[in-house]
Amino acid sequence: MKKVSYYLIVLISTFLLASCSKHPSLPSSFTSVDAAPTIYPDYVGVTVPPNIAPLNFLVDDVDDVVALIASPDGEQTYGGKENKVQIDGKEWKEMLASAKGKSLSVTVYTRKDGKWQAYKPFQISVAEEEIDPYISYRVLPPTFVGYDELSIRQYNLTNFEETTIYNNRQISKGLEGQCINCHSYQNYGTSNMMFHTRFQNPGTMIVSDGELIFVNLKDESMISAAAYNSWHPYLPIIAFSTDHTMQSFHTREISKVEVMESASDLVIYDVKKNRVQTVLNDSLELELFPSWSPDGKWLYYCSAYHEYLNKYEDTDELLQQYKTLKYNLYRLSFDAETMTFGEPELIYDARAKERSAVQPRVSQDGRYVLFAEGPWGLFHIWHISADAQILDLETGELLNTTALNSTLPESYPSFSSNDRWILFESRRDDGNYTRTYFSYFDKYGQVHKPFEVPAEDPEFFRLLLRSWSRPEFMKEPVRITPRQFYEKCLEEPIKVSQ
Amino acid sequence: MGTNVRKILKASDNKKQGKEEKRKWPAAPTLFILFIAYFILLAWYFLYVRNADTMFFMQDRGWWNSTTLFFKECTRVPGGLLSWTGAYLTQYFYYPVLGTLILIALWLVTFIVAKLSFKVPNEWSFLLFIPMVALLCSVIQLGYWVYILRDIDYVFYHSLGLFAALLLSFPFWRFLPVSEKVQGWIAFAWVPLVAALYYPLGIYALLAAVIVAVRTSWKSVIILLFALWLVPLLETSGSTLMRPDQPWLYGFRKFELDDLRDYSLEIPFYIALITPVFFPFIKYLQTKKLWQSQSIMLVVAALMWFCLSSRDFKDYNFHAEMRMQRGVEECRWNDVLNEAAKVKGPVTREMVMFRDIALINRGEFCSKRYLYNNESIQPVTVSDSIHIRIADQAADLIYFNYGETVFAIRRAIERCMHYGYSYYTMRMLTQCALVNGEINNVKKYLRLLSKTTFQKKWAEKMKRFVEDERLIETDERFRMPLKLYNEGSELVGTDDKYVELTIMKKWMYNMTNDPEAQEVALGCAMIMRHRNCFWSQVQQFYNINPGKYFPIHVQEAMLFEVYELGMEGVNLSFVKFDQRVVDRYNAFTERMKQYSSQGMNEQQIGRALRPEFGDTYMWDYCVLRQVQTN
Repeated sequence: MKKVSYYLIVLISTFLLASCSKHPSLPSSFTSVDAAPTIYPDYVGVTVPPNIAPLNFLVDDVDDVVALIASPDGEQTYGGKENKVQIDGKEWKEMLASAKGKSLSVTVYTRKDGKWQAYKPFQISVAEEEIDPYISYRVLPPTFVGYDELSIRQYNLTNFEETTIYNNRQISKGLEGQCINCHSYQNYGTSNMMFHTRFQNPGTMIVSDGELIFVNLKDESMISAAAYNSWHPYLPIIAFSTDHTMQSFHTREISKVEVMESASDLVIYDVKKNRVQTVLNDSLELELFPSWSPDGKWLYYCSAYHEYLNKYEDTDELLQQYKTLKYNLYRLSFDAETMTFGEPELIYDARAKERSAVQPRVSQDGRYVLFAEGPWGLFHIWHISADAQILDLETGELLNTTALNSTLPESYPSFSSNDRWILFESRRDDGNYTRTYFSYFDKYGQVHKPFEVPAEDPEFFRLLLRSWSRPEFMKEPVRITPRQFYEKCLEEPIKVSQ
Repeated sequence: MGTNVRKILKASDNKKQGKEEKRKWPAAPTLFILFIAYFILLAWYFLYVRNADTMFFMQDRGWWNSTTLFFKECTRVPGGLLSWTGAYLTQYFYYPVLGTLILIALWLVTFIVAKLSFKVPNEWSFLLFIPMVALLCSVIQLGYWVYILRDIDYVFYHSLGLFAALLLSFPFWRFLPVSEKVQGWIAFAWVPLVAALYYPLGIYALLAAVIVAVRTSWKSVIILLFALWLVPLLETSGSTLMRPDQPWLYGFRKFELDDLRDYSLEIPFYIALITPVFFPFIKYLQTKKLWQSQSIMLVVAALMWFCLSSRDFKDYNFHAEMRMQRGVEECRWNDVLNEAAKVKGPVTREMVMFRDIALINRGEFCSKRYLYNNESIQPVTVSDSIHIRIADQAADLIYFNYGETVFAIRRAIERCMHYGYSYYTMRMLTQCALVNGEINNVKKYLRLLSKTTFQKKWAEKMKRFVEDERLIETDERFRMPLKLYNEGSELVGTDDKYVELTIMKKWMYNMTNDPEAQEVALGCAMIMRHRNCFWSQVQQFYNINPGKYFPIHVQEAMLFEVYELGMEGVNLSFVKFDQRVVDRYNAFTERMKQYSSQGMNEQQIGRALRPEFGDTYMWDYCVLRQVQTN
């Protein structure tokens, strides 16, 4: 009896150890499938940075899965819970390091109804260039008007760690919430950054050389409080658009929402002098989305020509004509000595192509302009046919971005600080919830198949009922705590001067 | 605990026990058991008999799933464990009998724990039920607040909290094989330890700490005050999901909405939190005669009944709305119409819309709509603290059934933002996505619903539509919404929270060649009493239904428009009228003139005509002048 108990204990222990092992054994017998597996997120054939967190994934409709990952230094098996493959972070880092400039080979084995299948191995290329280690984004339900549950968070791309920069639940009361938006950083750093708070305790939260200030960025000369923005790469200057935003809903189109600006201008704000200066205020142009070139000598923006028939800002009229609003890309030269701007220079005529180009971002070498292009208007995350595009300023031609785009919306693209990674938001997963994607942009100007931001639990984004919108790259995390932002928010914002 | 104090208390205990033995009241246990039975009956009556529809509704507007992500989301704030458990148990009101039994069982277990813990004599045990009755009251008094409750765990949260607090304050140290002094130290240390459970249990951990302290010694009270102040500050310092100015109140339900705060709805929670603090002292209550305590018991029993019955939200329309909503969701059109027919007084606009949806699906929108009561009122509110609108209630379900899936999604998501996700919303979002053809979105919602306890079956049924989208064309749930979606025009606009008006205005202008959809357009033009739209739709009906009789109410409207309202330039010679309609119309106008000549005012005429003509378009038009849209 004692012996039986002993063997039983050994057997159970072995079983438990085997099931808990982070390196499951490969099946001894299986049938081969001559195709790569369908995995989520889709990491088949992607190119990733050498500092990215483990690319955990799952396979649908299987009972068990094991992945054999081969790097130049060896190979290892990984499994997880049921249909998930979760890779050890430390070992993953070592594999990436050994595969830098080369690739990893992944063979997936799945078990269904007791039978194992082995899929054709797929490659994950590992680029030489690292990605900026942090991104920040807004987290909210894919809502249209309400904003009682909103936060700006930051995510460490190397280890999945997510922390809150600011959460409006700290201050919101009842349904009268606080809207928070337009977070941005100077030159990918967080010593100079900002975001707006609206409705409840409204103002603009600015971190200037690490010091927190709260400003009411609205004066009589401005259409509205400052909105879309861009930090000058080295001066304490932020360019803003000021605008009247309106929103309407489709009754049938699954684009669902139209966002329009019935009026908009551009201004710059000197953080140190607390002064606003008008840049463009042409009443026939709707200027938006200012964006500095990395050398600080150009201010890029988009603008749509619109002349009201009634000669006043008639929102009903605009609503009837929303499809005629097509934005082109322009730029202005900037003289930092005199703080003056040159004349608008058209750099991309989207209107001529019956398209609308918005949200320009310029590469560090000044050669490429990345932007979102849709059928009309400015809020392309709601436009099914919206794509990310890259304009080569040397040739004046668009690069081929087919690999990057999908049949669902892509919007808000930006370059990493080394130009090799493109960050954008997309609704390609399910059409409704915005997700963050990266694409490798090689030195030859080629974009590569994008991949979704990795999550510790590969099912995370499938289950998450919130969007991650308006992502921004950061070289470092925000160090001001949510509590500090909250306390500042309770203060009266300082007023700007002309 | 100080040795002297302990000795005195122990002596007092012994003395009391001795006295009890001497008195030997056999009636006490019997009455005590009767009181338990009374409590069970009370709970059963108010939860199940009176409020089964509300309880089902509350679980349907709740949300729980078995994912780790959901658990993490629940437990990001103090009281999160109670929240997760509460949300889990609330699901069982999917079967109101089951949910009611679980909740009553939880209260009974709580009672037993309290009785054992505080050694409450039988004759005073009824006092232990006071917080439970308060919590019962908190569930049945909500009225229209159920639509805007953010708490997915509301029904069970506080009962679980109370149970946890009483369990944690159980004097286990008295059973440990250590000296009394050590026992005292354990009890002393237990106060901050229990308070430290603030993160999983919220304010109920603090309640447990208070009870432990008051049942031990004054030294405990000192450490209690320190723990009450410090623990919430420490445990909430990193949380960004709560207001930093309110770290001590997590788990206490406040009924506030923007600038409104309804303190009357909070009273049960004050009772549930305050009365247990006095439980340790019940055993010291003494009466010379049993009848004295039992008289108090009778008074308490009567008070309980009085409080519950006066706080129970009895408004007929409130309950009928919930039943009708469920009927619409489950395509039980006959039940919806029966419910509409049963209502005696004026109805809410939501009820009108549910009924109209049932009529549309049965193809009777223009032939039977005015058989039902269209006299409408605003929903009755609790303490006048909220003004509920269809946009907050079931706007998404109504939009969906009129084929306005984008507006339905908008309203569903807005409500999620304000009041959290729910099974109901997930089903609505799934159905809308199916009609829109957003299959990946459907899959996402079904994936989540399949991780719930009672929505799995629904999710499983929906999967066949994912595999073959064409099946929705013939399915009862989707047939009409899909038709109206396809036949509806594409517009850009907003509803400004006026759900009914938005639908009516869109549809009265909508020109379609589909007979069923066109009848909806014609009916909307009649409801809106828009002459141009009405006649355009009449023309369209004639065009696409040549030779067919117009529906009865349309005939009535045509006669009324032309002959009573003097619509010029309309040639009715092409219309085939039903002679009975013509006769009734003539009788109606005759009677109107007669009453008018007698000097009766509009209201009096309306009342007089109602028995005979209350089921006609004419009566509706003349009497219900001010159609309230909500």
